Amino acid sequence: MPQAIRKYCHVTDRSASLNGVALPVADAAGEKGAFLTALYRSLKIDYPKFFKMDSLSKLGFLAAELMLTDEKPRFTPREDVAIICFNRSASLATDALYQATIQGNGGYYPSPSLFVYTLPNIVAGEIAIRNKFFGETSFYVCEEWSAQQALRAAHLALCDEHTRMVLTAWVECSEEACEAFMMLVE
Amino acid sequence: MEKLILQLKQEIIKVLNLEEVAPADIADDAPLFGEGLGLDSIDALELIVLMEKIYGIKLKDPAQGREIFKSIRVMAEYIHANRAK
Repeated sequence: MPQAIRKYCHVTDRSASLNGVALPVADAAGEKGAFLTALYRSLKIDYPKFFKMDSLSKLGFLAAELMLTDEKPRFTPREDVAIICFNRSASLATDALYQATIQGNGGYYPSPSLFVYTLPNIVAGEIAIRNKFFGETSFYVCEEWSAQQALRAAHLALCDEHTRMVLTAWVECSEEACEAFMMLVE
Repeated sequence: MEKLILQLKQEIIKVLNLEEVAPADIADDAPLFGEGLGLDSIDALELIVLMEKIYGIKLKDPAQGREIFKSIRVMAEYIHANRAK
């Protein structure tokens, strides 16, 4: 089946680009995560739940927004869109934050809002919920990743007679850095 | 009571990551769930943790939260009457 990458984007905790063109974002330098919040604001998104997400979900969410902002119609329920994500560290950064809530000397107060992000595939769910996508979602944890590998997964998804479009991405967040590379494949 | 209400609003904004909400945006008597602040079930669990962590109040029955978390004022009155910290 012929397939085409219609769009791609690259988002890190310091920069963002769409189809290879850097996006101007007024960065609130310094604080970790400030760039993602600045990108959210520059895209004029009104979705308060964004602020409750962990870094991994924020990253995937923003990459999907870059892919889909100009898509028409938007927010119409679709069953023909698949979301396939990959990364190396699963939800390790958030797992560590959650562990800190149950290990500190201040007492045992496990955080429910951190706990719900201690699975990496939540990022795919957040994208699906935002965009009303009801198609396949999957998340693979692997040491290495390549665009070819993602395209193979997209191809397999598109072999399904119901799937017409695939968002596939590398979405990796560690304590040191965050990086997403997303492609929209049809 | 007014001081406790303000402190509670500040704590809720911080704990629930209500980044675009200021204490003045939260009406004392507005519903916290559904309309009003539009909090969800995970937020309710965070409020239960907040009650215990900050004020030493342990809600044994989560269903109690339905009454206690009706509004900021109701929550503040409950804390005022039951706080251990």
